[in-house]
Amino acid sequence: MKKLVLFSLAVLVLVACGQQPKKQKKNVAETPVQKALVLSVDDLLKKAPELADKEVMVKGTVLHVCKHGGKRCFLMGSTEELIIRVEAGEKIGAFTQEQVGSELEITGMLKEIKTKADEHRPGAEEEEHHHDTKETEEAHKIIDKSNKKAGKRFFIKGSSVKTL
Amino acid sequence: MHFKFKGRKTLRLLHRDLGYFIVGMVIVYAVSGIFLNHRYDINPNYRVYSENFTVNPSANDLKTEAGIKTILKELPYNLNYKKHYINKNGVVKVFVENGDVTIDSSGNGALQYLEQRPFIYSMNRLHKSSIGSTWKRVSDVMAFILIFVAVSGLFLLKGKRGFWRWGLWWMLAGVAVPLVFALIFI
Repeated sequence: MKKLVLFSLAVLVLVACGQQPKKQKKNVAETPVQKALVLSVDDLLKKAPELADKEVMVKGTVLHVCKHGGKRCFLMGSTEELIIRVEAGEKIGAFTQEQVGSELEITGMLKEIKTKADEHRPGAEEEEHHHDTKETEEAHKIIDKSNKKAGKRFFIKGSSVKTL
Repeated sequence: MHFKFKGRKTLRLLHRDLGYFIVGMVIVYAVSGIFLNHRYDINPNYRVYSENFTVNPSANDLKTEAGIKTILKELPYNLNYKKHYINKNGVVKVFVENGDVTIDSSGNGALQYLEQRPFIYSMNRLHKSSIGSTWKRVSDVMAFILIFVAVSGLFLLKGKRGFWRWGLWWMLAGVAVPLVFALIFI
């Protein structure tokens, strides 16, 4: 029995180790986007209406990561007023607080905010008594302000992330 | 009630061994579950340290990387500079490893430094299945094993303390707790 358990553990470790590079290879292989142009947040926001529902690659500085689990982050362009929200989704899993202030290259689907769920405003979904942090509220306010000017609102459903 | 169940011995063996097998996973889910339950009371993943400080804006260069690094040296937590920017209100925002620092034009500063909770951070990531799709499948299998251990446990004992004469009532009491809350609050 002891031998069986040790053998099973060894197999599990090998399988788990074998999975990781495979997955990375897959990410590299899945890539018509690899050759695509990497946009800055500023450019992405300018071209957003024509890029909606398309896969985009964008790079920017992480201004804020959601404190309650890192399910989303705010990517900043040349100024604090140019921000886009990135949802980590299943493929990325979560952003970490350690990524705040880092330059990230995100690949994902640019989506227009059409519903309350897309919007992800604190308190709008999940938790009745949910209060997000000051920084998150501030980032949402900035996005609202710039969105008012632009008319349409966008976010990215992330599929892969690379730290630059 | 008379209930004859063949295969109790096999069930007992499976319940015993899979019970041993699943204990680590149950602890991961239970401990991280407590932290995640309290996620709006405390940060479940990080210890957060906040400090206020003042600097002399005329004596310190708040615009250059070198000037900001000099200020960071005087602050606690051995902060490592990443980058900075100045917003339209003249507030300098400095990103440091594991935190950030803000300094306004009059020299009032605030720093926030985060420290990962050892073990709990990893447990929370596992619990929330935020490490990719392979773990999602593994944890699905573990969840099915846990369901099996829970259900098989109902049928292990015979007689006076068996399921039908004793366990059923305890089971109903346990089911009633979430059920009552669900009926009232959902």
